[in-house]
Amino acid sequence: MSPAETATPTTAPRTGGGVRHLLGSELRLVFGRRRNVVLLLGLAAVPILLGVVIFITQDTVVGSQGPGFIGRVAGNGLFLVVAALFTCLPFLLPLTIGIVSGDAIAGEAATGTLRSLITVPVPRTRLLLVKAIVALCFAAAAVLTIAIVGLITGWVLFGISDLVLLSGDTITAGAGLFRVLGVAAYVAMSMSGLVMVGVLLSTLTETPVAAMAGTVTVAVVSAVLDSLPQLSAIHPGLLTHYWIDFAEFLRLEVDPAALAPGLLVQAAWVLLAGTIAWSRFTTADISS
Amino acid sequence: MSTTRTLSHRARWAVPAVAAVVVAGALAGPPLLAAADEPALPEATPVELLTSIAEAEPAAHSGTVVHTARLGLPTGGLTEITGADPIGLLGGSSTLRVWTDGAERSRVSLLGSASEYSVVHDGPQAWTYSSTDDVVTHYTLDAAAQARYEDAQEGQTPPGAPELPTPEEAAQQALEHVEEFSSVTVLEQATVAGRDAYQLQITPETDGTLVEQVRIAVDGETFTPLQVQVWSTSDTAETPALEVGYTDITFATPDDAVLSFSAPAGAEVVEETVSLPSEEASGEASAEHTPPETIGEGWESVIIIDDVDLQGLLAGDPEALADAAASHPMPGSDSGQELMEEFMSDSEGNHGPPSLDAAALYEQLTTEVPEGRVLSTTLLSVLITDDGRLLIGSVPVETLQEMA
Repeated sequence: MSPAETATPTTAPRTGGGVRHLLGSELRLVFGRRRNVVLLLGLAAVPILLGVVIFITQDTVVGSQGPGFIGRVAGNGLFLVVAALFTCLPFLLPLTIGIVSGDAIAGEAATGTLRSLITVPVPRTRLLLVKAIVALCFAAAAVLTIAIVGLITGWVLFGISDLVLLSGDTITAGAGLFRVLGVAAYVAMSMSGLVMVGVLLSTLTETPVAAMAGTVTVAVVSAVLDSLPQLSAIHPGLLTHYWIDFAEFLRLEVDPAALAPGLLVQAAWVLLAGTIAWSRFTTADISS
Repeated sequence: MSTTRTLSHRARWAVPAVAAVVVAGALAGPPLLAAADEPALPEATPVELLTSIAEAEPAAHSGTVVHTARLGLPTGGLTEITGADPIGLLGGSSTLRVWTDGAERSRVSLLGSASEYSVVHDGPQAWTYSSTDDVVTHYTLDAAAQARYEDAQEGQTPPGAPELPTPEEAAQQALEHVEEFSSVTVLEQATVAGRDAYQLQITPETDGTLVEQVRIAVDGETFTPLQVQVWSTSDTAETPALEVGYTDITFATPDDAVLSFSAPAGAEVVEETVSLPSEEASGEASAEHTPPETIGEGWESVIIIDDVDLQGLLAGDPEALADAAASHPMPGSDSGQELMEEFMSDSEGNHGPPSLDAAALYEQLTTEVPEGRVLSTTLLSVLITDDGRLLIGSVPVETLQEMA
């Protein structure tokens, strides 16, 4: 039996208050850490930068050009939220998530605090659960930051007007706001699988940078595999395959059946990565 | 110490293994469940079924259609560059959404990953909208055609807007001349889009066509076509060359908002006035436009159109398109007309700044033969001769070359 296993507390399970207490302190720790605040500020800068660039160039020849929804921002500030999320989706969001979720366990191991955390009476399962929840909260906060800053920037620079859907139909600004919030919620949900992959990698190494880089690599490799038509058989299972499906919220009738595959794939990744992380973390030697 | 706290390492690693099995089960589960539910519709002979389909009132419905083409054309990945564009229908899988009230109003949307190409029919008017270039094309009838439309009240075909393929349309074409040139059998009942369905198999009674067989699944209650599969002679049994079918369908009248359309603010609007030749006037019209000549009948029929302004077509010139559009209909060649329409609608969809160089695409898709250039797919052959004639048919290329 490893020394780590004997370190697993043998006291009676604590009440729910223990989880809440631990969750509260972990949330304060993660959201209070200067590096993580800078990450959120960096993401908040994206919609502002994007908005200002579009605002300056809107009357020039290049104004209406650009991929996806960028060309539509000048007409309606609501689209700035979508355009900013679209811009952050391939790399900046995975990077942010990788840094925070990759740090979850490995960061504690690196600074030597993990051993003291698990020797005080906190069961490993509970610690892992709390770390995962905090990482998920941070991912949601990252998406929310982009959405709120995007909404305010779009409103200030371009105003908010009735939303033109992909089908060419127009809906009221109020209904449009709900659509845009749906986009943000879907993007946040789409990150859950990657968060759990980050937590899993974080349990495999004591070097936080390795787990962070690994998480970003998983997202990038997934996107590369998704772009190869020869691999179409495995595309529906890829972490990133349905990320772009947030566009469903901009169609005439939002079909829940069209959103389900993306959410189910994320659930499957959360389940698999989560259980593997649990098995690894509860059986690993923890010496530092 | 309780047993749950002292699970062996091996037992702990069993948890992700169980999770993996659960995920795999969830992936494989739905088809297994569907197979357990055998449809039990009353028996029907081919003749009874064909009659029922012909006499059925079109039912209002909405649903999702998946269109898969394996025509052997090198067009893979095009939609990823251009967004939702009808040319994507020529290869690979496309998803469409269909809403129809069963009569004159309908909306069909071709879905791209973050784009959409919609065709809305509302009585005598039609619109197309492409979210990629934000262009609306509004089709209306000219005064004479409008008057005839109002007299006729119904039964008139709406104006010549591009059509996106739906199972109904494909089935209609396949069944048009079915009794004369084909043998029809009823296959065992199937479940399509969650509906109990009859399956008809149509086999051409000739070897001179590229079409091996057509399979149509119709809803057991409303006789709405749910799925059409077309096998070409070069296909294996499992993968039809063309497959268009509902993956889910709801029989209810769609919202009024879905079936109407008004151009969004800021979009470029192109007005197209369509004149439908009336029955009396069709004689005159034929003096201006050489009517397309049809050689052969049924599945083997070949359409020959003279004086094709190919350069105009490739440039998206409306006049050249109007000429080419006069080639309709193409009896017996179900997928032929569809394909032709896809070509037409592609060129039409590219108003404004062209997203795709049509001429380059033409070079890419066709190959040179002594008679001109040939477009060869698994279901349809097109020969464009050097002297400006266009030969189209669901026949081998050699047959067209002999005719040219």
